[in-house]
Amino acid sequence: MSLGTTDGLCSCGSGLRALRCCQADREQWPGQDAVTLLDEKAAEATRLFNKKEHSEAEALALTILDAAPNQRAALRVLFEVRNAQRRIKAADALGARLAGLPGPPALRALASGQYAQYLVGQGRHAEALPFAAAAVKAAPKVAQTHHVLGVVFTETGAVLAGERHYRQALALLGREDGMVLGNLAWNLKLQGRLSDAEALYEKALTLRPDNPRGVGGRAQVIFTKGERARADALLDEALACWPQDRMLRLLKVMADLACQRPQAALERLGPPEAQMPPELLARGRAFMQLGQKQEAISAIAAARMTQRERTGKVYQPAALLARVARDEAYFTADRVRHLPRAGTGPFMPVFLLGFPRAGSSLLEQLLAQLPGFASGDETAPVAELARAAEGLLSGGYPECLDEMLVGEAARVPNQLRQMYEAPRQKIGLARPGVQFITDRAASNVWHLGLIKLLYPEAPVIHVLRHPYDLVLSNIAQDRKLEGDAQAGLPGLAQYFALHARMIRHYRGQLTLRYLPVRYEDLVMDPDAVVSRVLTFIGMEAALPSGFALNNRPVAEPLPAHFAGREAVHRRSAWRFKDYQAAMPNLFSEVAPVLDPWVREFGYEERGA
Amino acid sequence: MNVAVQPLGPDKVVMPLAEALNKLAKLEQANKLAEADDLAARMLAAMPEHPHILQLAGIVSYRNGRVAEAIEQMEKSEALSPETALYPRNLCEVYRGAGRLDDALRAGQRAVQLAPEDARSHFNLALIHYERLELDEAVRVAEQALSLDPEFAEAHFEKAEALLLAGRLKEGWESYEWRFKLKQAEGMLPKTEKPQWQGQAMEAGKLLIIGDQGFGDCVQFGRFIPWAALLAPQPVVACSTELLPLLSQLPGIGKIITRWDDALGYEAYIPLSGLPRLAGTTVDNIPPSGYLAPNPELAACWGRRLERLTPKGKKRIALVWAGRPTHKNDKKRSLKLSQFAPLFARDDVVILTVQKGDQIAQAGGYYGHAPLINLGPEIEDFLDTMAILQHVDRLLTIDTSVAHLAGASDVPSSVILPYAPDWRWMLNRGDTPWYPSLRLYRQSEPYKWEDVIRRVVADL
Repeated sequence: MSLGTTDGLCSCGSGLRALRCCQADREQWPGQDAVTLLDEKAAEATRLFNKKEHSEAEALALTILDAAPNQRAALRVLFEVRNAQRRIKAADALGARLAGLPGPPALRALASGQYAQYLVGQGRHAEALPFAAAAVKAAPKVAQTHHVLGVVFTETGAVLAGERHYRQALALLGREDGMVLGNLAWNLKLQGRLSDAEALYEKALTLRPDNPRGVGGRAQVIFTKGERARADALLDEALACWPQDRMLRLLKVMADLACQRPQAALERLGPPEAQMPPELLARGRAFMQLGQKQEAISAIAAARMTQRERTGKVYQPAALLARVARDEAYFTADRVRHLPRAGTGPFMPVFLLGFPRAGSSLLEQLLAQLPGFASGDETAPVAELARAAEGLLSGGYPECLDEMLVGEAARVPNQLRQMYEAPRQKIGLARPGVQFITDRAASNVWHLGLIKLLYPEAPVIHVLRHPYDLVLSNIAQDRKLEGDAQAGLPGLAQYFALHARMIRHYRGQLTLRYLPVRYEDLVMDPDAVVSRVLTFIGMEAALPSGFALNNRPVAEPLPAHFAGREAVHRRSAWRFKDYQAAMPNLFSEVAPVLDPWVREFGYEERGA
Repeated sequence: MNVAVQPLGPDKVVMPLAEALNKLAKLEQANKLAEADDLAARMLAAMPEHPHILQLAGIVSYRNGRVAEAIEQMEKSEALSPETALYPRNLCEVYRGAGRLDDALRAGQRAVQLAPEDARSHFNLALIHYERLELDEAVRVAEQALSLDPEFAEAHFEKAEALLLAGRLKEGWESYEWRFKLKQAEGMLPKTEKPQWQGQAMEAGKLLIIGDQGFGDCVQFGRFIPWAALLAPQPVVACSTELLPLLSQLPGIGKIITRWDDALGYEAYIPLSGLPRLAGTTVDNIPPSGYLAPNPELAACWGRRLERLTPKGKKRIALVWAGRPTHKNDKKRSLKLSQFAPLFARDDVVILTVQKGDQIAQAGGYYGHAPLINLGPEIEDFLDTMAILQHVDRLLTIDTSVAHLAGASDVPSSVILPYAPDWRWMLNRGDTPWYPSLRLYRQSEPYKWEDVIRRVVADL
């Protein structure tokens, strides 16, 4: 029998034998009475750990766990030791095991909550969800469990659920807590409820002024509201307090870049040798603004290389390809034609499609200036409804949609549509006077089939941009894309091609109310393009004067991208041409993937 | 002579040349094209200058869609063995498929010169004359083929098409009767001892009318059913399920069936496409159009949907760009959606594609200026199409069933036609006596669509 390593130790790196670790048969674990006999020794291990005598604590914990792999306190000690040693694989295994141990609810809640926090600390919010939820179920009256679940929901995009748990945490605490209030404020910021968020930040920072993250969040709220000078001042003040805080410094650099102050950004970032990838990317964007193309590409390449070296992340297309193949096979004209559709609702979504950096946020901002429009951005995306459909119907998505042909399940499209509408009503997007709510969720590209069933006649506006400009712009952004496509230009190109392929499939197989518009036209003549969009969606509206200045007041909720709001400009259109001229081989590797789409999108005939 | 058919590997297989050639021919005839391709490549590698290997390899290349390669191989084959009549005969067909009609004509004439006793060589040459609109020559050469083989059904049919296209309908209908002896017509008529109807009066319900040929033909000739019903009341009409809702609109029909098993008790039968001959049809006495109409409720429903789906203030142009790929002339009549570029550039139109079939996928690659709504996925049947057409300003279509549907229901339409069109569109006219609501746009040169598209779009 293989034990994972030749010496019998577990391959996770816990230091335990595999049979006492990942290959243990839980049925064979000692009973609670036997485990209790070891409690005193385990308490000793805990004392050693608390006294920072880690080696001794580790040795004792290993001995105890070899006898009883389910000894809670010893397991906890070994988990903490491995975590402190950054032996992630081992800590993952031990933490998950600890969270799964049977025991009294309070202990289970504690273990699950701690493991969830451990994952949150590493930015692994989606993985943390089941443990955070388990902690709440085990201890529903403990404020901290709700707080952690609030963080997890907020950071995985379920902002309304996140808000609910933050408020429950506050209610259970019976007092105002600076940390929870700060996190709730961030949640409201993500909902676009900027005024509420700012008020909460004020309160939170009064209670906990030693919270640079909170100050940063507040500055971002103020920046998104368009009060850039005030945000700048706040960041300056914070940097004076915490001059070594990299997060605050990077926020200030972002503000510099948004205000077209590339030189100031470069000076603030300092020498590149000590910079982390997000800082190097910001450096690259600063050089881009200065027109120093070679320097920009060097900085960006250095950032991506460092990221790859540190995380080992490269583009992982397998799951994406499998999903595309599955959806292409399912969503065909002959199948979808017979599936039931939802009826009409109180407002009409306008789906804004576009590869990241194509310009759909600019279009959303411009439309938001018109009466009757609200900016939904990424609020409660249809992708969540695909998961909900699996719950309402039997089987996996999308095959489960076949169930809608049977009996009462025909009502499911209407149920899903109501689930789409409810959060928009709750956060004030669907308010009197709003006829159209834009939906800019990046995941919509995969879900046009479901969108067709929920909103059969909703306009789908696809913002196109030259593919070379898209990969060039994305490679400079500090943004995680599906499949880690941001890792390099080749991955970005392939990810783009997958996007384009999926859209082509849906357009070929479904009757969509689809209109393509080009970023290049939008920045050249915004009035003409927006008028074309309005005509297409059946809205008669005269564009106000100064429309392209993009600075008219817009009602909340306001999406985060409003932080980058500026007058329509042409400097980013066809940018790749200058880069290609300066670096003729820059796109050589991606050309075979992108060029067919350059032709299909009609950019070749436009002289590109 | 032997040929080593696997020259590169260690396990070289040697087989007699005749056997290898025979195997290759059989693979091609059995449509095992990948295997045939592989064998041809290996044989060519062993004997690159063998004319018959080159000839067969060319046929295989052609059938695999590699036309340029096929021509190169077959030209080389002919050059190596210039006295073999089969080679220019085959090449004539391949040139025709490639749209190289001058070369096809030369090859066809050479084949006839080398084998004047070969009926098929004459037939191939007749096809080229048809494509070049040399209709008298087409008839003459087809007749030469028939003089060598009077039972040559394809030559009869080719002669019919040339006569009908030339407007010589009465003569054309007689030769047209040979269509049921064509290989592809097998199974179109019931296996029966009953006679074909000759236009005599019959008792009610005793005539079986068969919706033969394509959907478009059935729509076009459906207008003759009321005439037949005057002589043989309440005829039974057999047709495919797709046509049922259309043909059932015609007056005088007893019942409509979609299975041969339901065709009991008839005493004579007639294919639908045989009715024009019996009715003595000429261009001056074609029964009028307007014999089909959409279901009013369905039309109203589509009207409301289109109001919601399409932007206001733009001309609605319905579009069909491709026909059924298995149609014998599909290469000639079908286009790619992208070939309608002048239409896409128009600011004043919205394009509503009513295309059906696999080709709807092309709508996914459309990025033109004019909005395009791909209605095909929502179209269940011809009734939907007809209902939609009631709400468009004009249909722009190739020669396919939708053109007939529009014509039969008097929808303003523009039909783009190949240089040598199907006989029913006749020659040298921008209209058609079959359907007054149709405007015809013809290729000025074979296989060249640019000019046609430009003209038809300018007239919208």
